[in-house]
Amino acid sequence: MQYLQVLANGIVLGALYACLAVGFSLVWGVLNVINMLHGSFIILGGYLTFFAWQNFGIHPLLALPFVAAILYGIGYVTQLLVINRVVSQPVLTTLTLTFGLDLILYNYMTVFYTATPRRVTLDLGHVELGGIFMPVDRLFGMVLALALTGMLYVLLRGSRIGRAIVAVRMDGAAAALMGIRINRIYAITFGIGALMAGAAGAIFSMVFPITSNLTGDFLGKAFVVCVIGGLGSVPGALVGGLALGIIESFAGQFFGPQHALTVGFLLMLVLLVVKPTGLTGIKGYE
Amino acid sequence: MVITLDKLSRLMVATGFVAIGFAASPGNAQDTIKIGAPLALTGGLADEGHKQVVVWDMWLAKVNGAGGINVGGKKMKVEIVKYDYQTNGTRAGQLAEKLVTDDKVNFVLAPFGSGHTKIVAAVAERYQVPLLACASSSESVFNQGLKYLFGTLSPNGGVTTAVVKYFKVQVPTLKRVAVLGRDDVFPKSMAQGISEAAKAQGLDVVYDQYYAVGTMDHSASVSAIKAARPDWIYVTGYTQDLILVRKQMADLGVKAPIVSMMTGPAYKEFTDGLGNLANGVTSSNWWHHATTYKGVGVWPSTQDFYKEFVAKNKHDPDYVHASCAAATVVLQDAIERAGTLDKAKVRDALAKTDITTFYGPVKFSPNGMNQERDLPIIQVQDKTIKVLNPPEIKSADFQVMK
Repeated sequence: MQYLQVLANGIVLGALYACLAVGFSLVWGVLNVINMLHGSFIILGGYLTFFAWQNFGIHPLLALPFVAAILYGIGYVTQLLVINRVVSQPVLTTLTLTFGLDLILYNYMTVFYTATPRRVTLDLGHVELGGIFMPVDRLFGMVLALALTGMLYVLLRGSRIGRAIVAVRMDGAAAALMGIRINRIYAITFGIGALMAGAAGAIFSMVFPITSNLTGDFLGKAFVVCVIGGLGSVPGALVGGLALGIIESFAGQFFGPQHALTVGFLLMLVLLVVKPTGLTGIKGYE
Repeated sequence: MVITLDKLSRLMVATGFVAIGFAASPGNAQDTIKIGAPLALTGGLADEGHKQVVVWDMWLAKVNGAGGINVGGKKMKVEIVKYDYQTNGTRAGQLAEKLVTDDKVNFVLAPFGSGHTKIVAAVAERYQVPLLACASSSESVFNQGLKYLFGTLSPNGGVTTAVVKYFKVQVPTLKRVAVLGRDDVFPKSMAQGISEAAKAQGLDVVYDQYYAVGTMDHSASVSAIKAARPDWIYVTGYTQDLILVRKQMADLGVKAPIVSMMTGPAYKEFTDGLGNLANGVTSSNWWHHATTYKGVGVWPSTQDFYKEFVAKNKHDPDYVHASCAAATVVLQDAIERAGTLDKAKVRDALAKTDITTFYGPVKFSPNGMNQERDLPIIQVQDKTIKVLNPPEIKSADFQVMK
């Protein structure tokens, strides 16, 4: 029975990991930009949700689409005005740029909101199935992760914008020759990445105490999930998140909580050596 | 040395450090007492770092408002030179060194937490500069034979033994204890302390584990604790860890008659972040504003400090605020008794300190730590903090968690 609970813990935790990684994976895969802002975008989404709830009594699930839309706008503008200027440079240049932008955003959040941990104290409780406990807010996280992944998959395969994103990813120069406005597609993709961070932040405001201190932890997790699941692959973030969640959960059970994180990183190292494309092994969205 | 804006901007560009507290650098260095403070103003301990700034600024305003500190008959204004070490231990050491060698501070105030205090203490000792630590209670920091380090918190050991004794009386059936600690200097030392104290007093420690710094999920530990069926769950960590653990305990249906968290309930943000889930959680604490001490310094009584703090900040002070404010009171007292800014003489005056302040009695043990005293045990009841012990400041009876 206890192992079933450990498995359930791992699955819901994994869903949260998938939630925070899916936008990061998209941006990395399509733009070849390692977006160091991603963790701060999640926290910003969390703060916006928290203050909407505290000041106006808006439920986080209601605030979610608005927060996601605001983050989309921020992401779109950031890419259009700033990152696009260096997007064709080597990956280290864009990494340094987003790192710098992250320092600015992170420190502004610390100054404006202070680092005090804040949480939306709406406890949605848990469901119990045959002695297995599943927290409802984490189940929402799971639904969101699945929905985001599904929507992104459909968007990329079925819409004009989606096909344009895939085309740009496959061959930017050829896509430009076909009349696709590359800079706009980049901005939309980055905006979608930020939108997903904002949506994740809205759910996380009920699960985690939101503080600007967590930005680095979230970014680190997104990184590991992408490497495990497979870079740039939409289902990869889901698979990677679930794999990491389940592994950490069982590692915490067998080796003690002290070593749970180590085991997750070991898995990443092993995969980098034996299967660098990650578990899903997909190289694109085609 | 007066730091001009131009110099500062060049310094910022060259080193990337953000320096603050420079603008009000008053006059000639000889007329000013300079106190250095490497602070965590950004990064993981930013919240705690800002607490130190708040009370030091309060103290500074009061002292300078009264003309300064009396040094051998001459009133001298005080300046605190602050640098942000961004919660990066290595940088804390570098900035402490810069404060001593470049800014030529007379004394140093240590940052929050035992880990970073230890780093700064090594620098202070090397240059023989008196260092006042206000948020470090791990004996491992003070057991290094350092002569220039003085701390206003009492040792962790006294806190853990008293807590076990108290709960054994309150819950006579208490037998099984689960301990979950953050693998970090202070929280680990508290977890080790409670585990040893519980064993020494005949309790069974049925779960005794640490979680890594950066852990974002505690479901594995919480599930294992549930299986161990403890009567008392004792968790240590920083506020965000403790909020998460308490939340996950509720998520996974884990209950125990006693749930203690160090030092969660001591902070307002713990109760704010948990709402009703905070109710029933107990903690031990170094100070509570319900105490009624009278003593020396710019705040003659606990009430004076409390009233001024609440008027300025619109919330209650916690032990970090009080202990850090007390550190400046103690330093002022030592300077006045020494009658000089000579570092060795002020150090000797600090060692002889035997005073009562708004924060309580301060008398340093030979290792530089404040002596043990009866420290408050608190519980969150109906989202407010109640003092359970010691009896003279008790405001409520212990409530068993349901």
